[in-house]
Amino acid sequence: MDAERLVRDAVERATARGADYADARLVRTRTEELTVRNGRLAGALSDEDLGLGVRVLVGGSWGFAARPLGEDPAAAPAEAARLALRAAKAMGRAQRSPVQLAGRADARGEYRTPFELDPFEVSPADRLDLLQAAVAALGGRDEAVVREASCSVRREEQWMATSEGGETFQELVRAGAGVACQAAAHGQVERRSYPASFGGNYLAAGWEHVLGMDLVGEAPRVRDEAIALCSAPPCPPGRRDLILSGNQLMLQIHESVGHPTELDRVHGHEVDLAGSSFATTDKLGAFEYGSRHVDLVADSTVPGGLDTRGFDDDGVPSQRWHVVREGRLEGYLTSREWAGRVGEAASRGSNRAEGWFHPPIVRITNLSLMPGTWTLDDLIADTADGVYCDTVKTWSIDPSRMNFQFTTELGWEIVDGERRRLLRSPTYQGSTPEFWRSCDAVCDERHWRLWGVPNCGKGNPMQVAEMSHGAAPARFRGVEFVGGSW
Amino acid sequence: MPLMERGDAAELARRVLARSAADETEVTVDAEVDDFVRFADVGPTQNGARERVTVAVRVRRREPGGGYREARVQTGALDDAGIDAALARAEAIVEHCPVDPDLPALGGAVEVRDTPPIRPTLDHGFREKAAWVAGAVEACAAAGLAPAGLVQTCGLTRAIANSSGRAVVGSRTRASFALTATGPEGSGFADAIGPDVDALDAEGVVARAVERACAAQGPRPVEPGEYTVVLEPPAVSALLLFSSYCGFGAREFSEQASFLCGRVGERLFPAGLTLLDDAADPRNPGLPFDGEGTPRRTVPLIEAGVLRGPVTDRTWAARTGLECTGHALPQPSEDGPRPQNLVVEAGAESLEDLIGGVERGLLVSQLHYANMIDPKDLALTGTTRHGTFWIEGGRLGHPVHELRFTDDLVRILASVTGLGAQRAVAGALFDGDVLTPALRVEGFRFTSAAEAG
Repeated sequence: MDAERLVRDAVERATARGADYADARLVRTRTEELTVRNGRLAGALSDEDLGLGVRVLVGGSWGFAARPLGEDPAAAPAEAARLALRAAKAMGRAQRSPVQLAGRADARGEYRTPFELDPFEVSPADRLDLLQAAVAALGGRDEAVVREASCSVRREEQWMATSEGGETFQELVRAGAGVACQAAAHGQVERRSYPASFGGNYLAAGWEHVLGMDLVGEAPRVRDEAIALCSAPPCPPGRRDLILSGNQLMLQIHESVGHPTELDRVHGHEVDLAGSSFATTDKLGAFEYGSRHVDLVADSTVPGGLDTRGFDDDGVPSQRWHVVREGRLEGYLTSREWAGRVGEAASRGSNRAEGWFHPPIVRITNLSLMPGTWTLDDLIADTADGVYCDTVKTWSIDPSRMNFQFTTELGWEIVDGERRRLLRSPTYQGSTPEFWRSCDAVCDERHWRLWGVPNCGKGNPMQVAEMSHGAAPARFRGVEFVGGSW
Repeated sequence: MPLMERGDAAELARRVLARSAADETEVTVDAEVDDFVRFADVGPTQNGARERVTVAVRVRRREPGGGYREARVQTGALDDAGIDAALARAEAIVEHCPVDPDLPALGGAVEVRDTPPIRPTLDHGFREKAAWVAGAVEACAAAGLAPAGLVQTCGLTRAIANSSGRAVVGSRTRASFALTATGPEGSGFADAIGPDVDALDAEGVVARAVERACAAQGPRPVEPGEYTVVLEPPAVSALLLFSSYCGFGAREFSEQASFLCGRVGERLFPAGLTLLDDAADPRNPGLPFDGEGTPRRTVPLIEAGVLRGPVTDRTWAARTGLECTGHALPQPSEDGPRPQNLVVEAGAESLEDLIGGVERGLLVSQLHYANMIDPKDLALTGTTRHGTFWIEGGRLGHPVHELRFTDDLVRILASVTGLGAQRAVAGALFDGDVLTPALRVEGFRFTSAAEAG
């Protein structure tokens, strides 16, 4: 299969038949996931996926078609181009405002994720041995009802061509793993995860990332904390200071800064599924999104990010830019279609699709809270009445991304600068700008790391994207904790 | 776009099965077609004409001392070389997998009911979809509202064949049209979902969304607290789907993480409340077999107020000693069996009757971003969305600002005091559809204010 020729063929056929603009992406993805639960294999999946997505613009209307390359790859470009053109041309009178693209998609080049150990060169036996050892290390106590370890590795190869001269190739590799223990005792069921929820932590990296986690060494602590949570008191309601761990702060960044600054969403094009945004364009440059300690940087070039790549699915090169600088809203996440709406001459390059089967949409890229100057020990010592909250348990945020309520797996009560009792299911609630304005301290670069989100759903039909959020623990003053029986 | 014929899918499954030399093999062929148009104020914002065929192979090695090693591979490469490569990958993984000593053998031959695709749904073209979009956009513009929505028709043909003689095949189709109409101070939502696109009332969807959006303008503040609520089907669906994700499955039941634990057989809920999992209901049909090709049974989950369940698959039936109900996901799976076709039996009250039974309370059109805090009582949180209205003296009143709720689903269902006579298929932010009437619930807990959008 000559992938470069197939994507060029699709674009040439589309433009020859009337497309004002066309691009084609041929995507081959290989994923392997292993899960061991209580010593048994709970999941062993190896997936190879290969297909072609063709997008055209005709008279201001998009058309998109996706075809598999299963049996006759050479036939796919013509068929996909034909179907995409048919869809675009059928929009007719329904199209009230034509799509206009900012900049040009004429980038040429290659990008490959750097890694030390190719995860696909690590045998399934070695991967399973690690997971079995981690699950064994979670054992030894009857209350540990579910003992689980999982890993996932992926390689995505993408060939893209555009009718504006763009020709790119990318090989994106990522690896991740984690352990989790569910304990049942005293009528409670509690779960603890390491290093994060959603199956662990993922990076654009090789197997060296997984080996660096020390899953086996951390497992007994994870088990003991899950069991201890079953007899821990629920976090009492009321206002107190909140210190968020990096693996919870990543969700705070994702939900209350990432999604609200997706420009398609700001303009109401996500209302039918995930909602709108309070961060409207009239606020750009002036709105006090957070305190002066809050610097939030979008960066699809940062080493290790799940959305670190050479080019987005508009064919636009990767970039780094501020979304919030010293607390002020300064930028949005854009595509070529949306960049012009905020007066930008070119896209920031955050338009992505899930594989070949979906058309690209504006996406959160790697978005990180820049490190501050504190150590975590000093931050705790400086807090008189607070809770240190760690690891995502559940989350919910309103359609405009203003009111949120998040629950973490555990909390540590902080009294007079000392870490005291373990607290169960701390649940805090707030209003996005009020919350970020209450941030008065961020830990330094020694505490800062990237946390992967492997399951971001957006779009209708929904598609899943991955991105990372860098964070170090940070403190938020006077946050409202919600009480409950859970 | 043509959907693979059931006979062709079955033949492809047989061809793949014949190439496997494993002790036991199960082949699943999924052929999908999916045409959609998404739209907003500018008209169509995206569309897609999509087709995908995936072959999944579950390979097993029988151990001399009992039990199996097993793994699953998927591929989109359908030629012999691609299939052989997939089988080789499976063998390489199986080689090192731990032995599961109590996995049952693959199931043998079964009969399943015939489920042909609904042809008009597959034939519904982009011009027809664009016409629906134009109607929605024009109606919203005329009313000073911003539209956002989706028209979608899709089809799935699935064939499963295994080395124990099981061979099943079925198709399902789904058509949907959803419109959210947004004004300066509030929004309205309406949708229609069903297997047959010709049965969807597109004009009715537009009229209902616009009417509701117009009524939602000028909301007034409302204090959080406990209220009697009338939950319309989309709001009910957003809650009930969590009992499917985490509650009614045998795995979480066995692992003590289900609200069923210690409660099965108890009359927890009002006698008028019956919840089934029923893939055969023609209004929201599922495939007639599960992820292992086992025929799906219709299972009572709440029967006249009495808690029943859980649902099982072959593995979890063997582990728990319960009968297999045919609710497997594709195996092996990190997730256990789960109901996927929830049906709430209808009551006798009209929507007006349900509202009429509320002295002071709220009509809730839809819930947004519901998520689970705790599994043991299914504690959930989320916000209201797209039209919440004050009810006083049994009459629908002014719109109110949106609210966040935090409440237990077990308590919510125990507090049902009325069920609507009319039912609708409704989805939610996450996956799944539920056939349900509106419900009246006492003492629904709202915990803070939320923003519209």
